[in-house]
Amino acid sequence: MKEKALQVLLVEDNAGDARLLREMFSTERAGSFELTHLLRMSEAMIHLAKGGVDVVLLDMGLPDAHGLDTVRRAHEVAPDVPLIVLTGLDDEALAAEAMKEGAQDYLIKGQIENRALPRALRHAIERHRMQTESDLIRTNQLQFKDEFLSHVSHELRSPLTAIYQFVTILLDRLAGELNPEQHEYLEIVLRNVKQLQSMINDLLEVTRMQAGKLQIELQCTSVSDAIVYTVNTLQTAATAKGIILTSEIELELPSACADPTRIRQILIILVDNAIKFTPANGAVKIQARVSRENPNLLVLEVSDSGFGISPDMTERIFERLFQTPDPASAGRKGLGLGLFICKELVTRQGGEIWARSAPGQGTVFSVTLPVFSLPNLIAPSLKRERLTEGPITLVVTEIGSQTGWLSHEVRAEQSQRVRDILQQCLHSDLDLLFPKMGLAGATELFFILAITDEIGGEAISKRIQERLGGCEQLQQAGLTNSTSYHSLEAIKRDASESMKDFVEKVATQIQELMDEEISSRMVKNG
Amino acid sequence: MGNKKILIVDDDPDVRQGMNVRLRANHYDTFFAGDALSSMSEARKHEPDLIILDLGLPAGDGFVVMERLKAIASLAAIPVIVVSARDVRANKDRALKAGAKAFLQKPVDNAELLKVIRQALGEPAQAEKPVVHDLGSL
Repeated sequence: MKEKALQVLLVEDNAGDARLLREMFSTERAGSFELTHLLRMSEAMIHLAKGGVDVVLLDMGLPDAHGLDTVRRAHEVAPDVPLIVLTGLDDEALAAEAMKEGAQDYLIKGQIENRALPRALRHAIERHRMQTESDLIRTNQLQFKDEFLSHVSHELRSPLTAIYQFVTILLDRLAGELNPEQHEYLEIVLRNVKQLQSMINDLLEVTRMQAGKLQIELQCTSVSDAIVYTVNTLQTAATAKGIILTSEIELELPSACADPTRIRQILIILVDNAIKFTPANGAVKIQARVSRENPNLLVLEVSDSGFGISPDMTERIFERLFQTPDPASAGRKGLGLGLFICKELVTRQGGEIWARSAPGQGTVFSVTLPVFSLPNLIAPSLKRERLTEGPITLVVTEIGSQTGWLSHEVRAEQSQRVRDILQQCLHSDLDLLFPKMGLAGATELFFILAITDEIGGEAISKRIQERLGGCEQLQQAGLTNSTSYHSLEAIKRDASESMKDFVEKVATQIQELMDEEISSRMVKNG
Repeated sequence: MGNKKILIVDDDPDVRQGMNVRLRANHYDTFFAGDALSSMSEARKHEPDLIILDLGLPAGDGFVVMERLKAIASLAAIPVIVVSARDVRANKDRALKAGAKAFLQKPVDNAELLKVIRQALGEPAQAEKPVVHDLGSL
């Protein structure tokens, strides 16, 4: 069978170099190579875009492209075509860089031995094919592993459910009396069921993380609520071990810019660990305060009077599947995923986590989270690549409190409802909601910043109007009337006297952030 | 006053039986179905006060069951509690949108299950007589 000729694209502006290269093919069997010679990058890109090229021989000094730029541009139009760069004798370092950018090989002009060129081309094609194949296999394997783990974890839950149901039926004596020994053994079964359940949850969480499916919704979040929740949830477990679980929250602690369910999850893992690794009659304490070093950060600390960790382990404990080699805590079960999950969750919310400890002296886990503020909330979504061009849209909803016909409780409830409705309206990723920032006694203000085009802004505004209009209680309170839709400038202009300073500050902050982002983008994009 | 009737829909017979013992101990009358099809016929036959519904079922999943219930006037108002091994984040909102009163993740804590049942039935909250072994929240 006759093999198809390999389509070679030579991009070389130097006529002499091109002639030498052509001659190297002359010894090859006729019909094994078909050479297309172009002089410029722009021509090469048009040719590559058409497809059909098997391998590119690319000079790195062309009239309209130079150095690594040639490789990048070729890759841009034809990412799947293997590439060999041609360089001068003094440019070997550059050639090595080109390989990092995805070139398969490099040849030094004037140093190419007879017959080496066709061989290099064939090798480049083969190497590229093998690499593509192994990349594909790897991607498939990873995907399979994720799906497999997810499937298995879910399937494990059904039998676990049946075990839990019947163990508790026995323990609750729904099937007759138990003697103390039977009761004790069933308690052991139940404890292990819980252990297994938390392992399955950890496994699923890590699978989600690795598949990039972990959901984190940053919002104005009360850290105190999360601490109270954690203490309530784990109090029984602590008491059962004779451990005193306490919390200490700084007065007037600001809200965090974080996901409330994720903060609870982090605290549960840390406190649960602390209880596990603290011997009977010990103490576990949760503390929250503003960072002394940086007022934009909240610090959450979980400290215990447990076995402690040796200092060289304080970083390794956050690694995946880490398990303590310490014999003092041997026999404790777990997959070693808890702290790994914690670290991922904290990092994804813009915070840090670390541990301080010494053997025998207990351990302190510290977590930082950004304080809720406008820039902190906007920053992550501004950094997302999907920021669209166009004017900023600000939607402001005011809930009048000056009239005094709403009691404090009703007002708080109303604010929450408006907040909920606004949040429901704004499920597009491009929208951002600023819940009111809790200024005592002042008019409640809701800012929704929609980084979008004008039409998008109008659509969001319309959705909000519709939803607010459909809410009877809010209509009675006359709240829909004050819903307005403004540009940044208009907000500043229209703000009532009492709110002016506040609004001005907010608007300025947004503007500064936008400017910063835009200028950094301009630098990035050249 | 007669006991309230609960239809338990789950394809795992062990889970059905476990649920049965727990609910009967709390003075509910129970009926069962193991797939989407029989869940409809059982619902018609007994007109339960509440349905506990698994999502992964043979012959059409729990979402299909909820859709069909909604289409039948005599069954449309029966409160449904979804109890599933499936992922909360991917399924909870969908289940609530489909009309479920609550989404509970398997294995469900006994106290939590009974609380949600009572809420859905509009019964006053009360502690279960025997000691409840809770499963924790995570």
